[in-house]
Amino acid sequence: MVLGWGALALAGLFTGCVEAVPQDAIEAVENIDRDLMELRAAEFSPVDYARFAHQWMALKSRVQADEDLIRWPWEPNDLELALRRLQEEGSQTVARLTKEREALRHLAESKIAQVEDRFRVMAVQVSAIDSRLVLGQKPVETDLLMKQAHAFYEQGQYDRSLDASDRAARNLATQAVLLGNEFGRYADRGRISRWQQMAKDTIAWSRTHQTSAIVVNKADRVLTLYHNGQKVLSYPVRLGFNGIREKRYQGDGATPEGRYRISRKRGQGQTQFYRALVLDYPNEEDRRRYRLERKTGQIPGSRAIGGQIEIHGVENELMAQTLGCVMLENPQMTLLFDRVEKGTPVTIVGALHEQNSVAQTLVLLGVQREET
Amino acid sequence: MNTRAAMLPVMCALLMLTACAKAPTEQIAAAEKAVTEAQQSGAATYVADEYAKIEGTMAALKKEVSDQDGKLALFRDYGKAEQLAAAAKSDAERVKVEAATKKEEAKAAALQAQQVAQEAVASTLALVAKAPTGKDRAALESIKADADALKESLNQVQAAIDAADYPAAQTKAKAIHEKSQAVSQEIEAALAKIGKGKPSAAKKK
Repeated sequence: MVLGWGALALAGLFTGCVEAVPQDAIEAVENIDRDLMELRAAEFSPVDYARFAHQWMALKSRVQADEDLIRWPWEPNDLELALRRLQEEGSQTVARLTKEREALRHLAESKIAQVEDRFRVMAVQVSAIDSRLVLGQKPVETDLLMKQAHAFYEQGQYDRSLDASDRAARNLATQAVLLGNEFGRYADRGRISRWQQMAKDTIAWSRTHQTSAIVVNKADRVLTLYHNGQKVLSYPVRLGFNGIREKRYQGDGATPEGRYRISRKRGQGQTQFYRALVLDYPNEEDRRRYRLERKTGQIPGSRAIGGQIEIHGVENELMAQTLGCVMLENPQMTLLFDRVEKGTPVTIVGALHEQNSVAQTLVLLGVQREET
Repeated sequence: MNTRAAMLPVMCALLMLTACAKAPTEQIAAAEKAVTEAQQSGAATYVADEYAKIEGTMAALKKEVSDQDGKLALFRDYGKAEQLAAAAKSDAERVKVEAATKKEEAKAAALQAQQVAQEAVASTLALVAKAPTGKDRAALESIKADADALKESLNQVQAAIDAADYPAAQTKAKAIHEKSQAVSQEIEAALAKIGKGKPSAAKKK
């Protein structure tokens, strides 16, 4: 009888006892840890992961210490409660970090698209006004930064992708400022008025002297021939690779602005560019400005003022650029060549109206710069 | 004699109280040293989650030692602290090797990308040098500016390598390589055009 009661008590003892830490609670926290590692939480949100890891390691050491213990079902189990609490907190962290990473990914993606769009517009506009050289190394720097932004994005490094895009955006803003500094005169009313007056004077001279005169508008890339003050013909032209800039010294690829005259006509066989009208560049105003800029160090001492600025035809049809001259298609050059003489005035101006292509480009880039 | 016999248990108790467990300071110091070395090998960057866990273990170790220190000497047990110190040391040593390996891999990848970029830029610059001087060179002026910019950018790759920012070095080098190839293609196209025409002599402009 006594033995029977003893056996019953022993059986009750074993069937009523529980593990100190339920395995499922440990596995649940391990799963949270795995989720956080997949999210690369330690890299992207080190404070959150460190908090989790500290708690998890503390509980793990308690789990290991309590591994061999068994307890009564009615005994409070602090360790299990702590594990469940960590699982809950961890789940919330996983959910929050997932959301934050997705938001960051979206932000990085949008920023790339935004800066690339701006970069594309800038490239098109800069190409349209032939001002690529003004920007120096900046376009390549921007391109490289955007490629880096893409690479970091693909690697899931959204913060670094954003950083690269931001730097590219700042680089583009600098380019817009450079363009503004270099070409602001195309949007300057006073300057445009002076150019308009120069053109008017030239046309008036043609009328007064019953002869021909040429006006070249750099912004619109148009050459117009006047006779007796009347427009006779108007042709599109190409300028030097830096033609939109104001010529300052030899080799800068810029096309000069000012009042000139044809100093010599070169027919076929006398020029490599089909036919050429040589201008008397540099004139006195060009020389005065050149001397001043050299004196103030704006032009290096080794640079000469340059010369041999011409209105000419095309030597090689496949090459669409010149070094600072005004270039016409050969059939049009023939017609022009026959209508002018040595001494014909040639006035080259930046622009003749406020809505010129360069000014419009500056406005467009200025607006976009503010948006970026 | 009776008095001496009566004192014996008291003496034993006093002895036990004063000679009980001591904190495993050497093991803790060894663990801390291993963690520092792991950190110096780049563990926080290259195996960030593992390293965070080791720091967690170290925090648990310090708490355990503090808990035991707060007990009466007779009841102190530093066994768990010893286990934690041993685990932290062993994990830190493993992570140190792992981080060093990953760091070396990242460095090797960056250096490889740098070399490829350098070769591509050298090839681009060689193509630019082939371009004829004179009037026809005008079309190549902007390309030349791009090639110069690529050459300058190689310095940024080196700076990132020097700063051990290998991901930045690698992405920059790859970008330079890609851009350099594009510029080379542009030059080749321009040279092909020039080849069909006649190169002209340099002229004052």
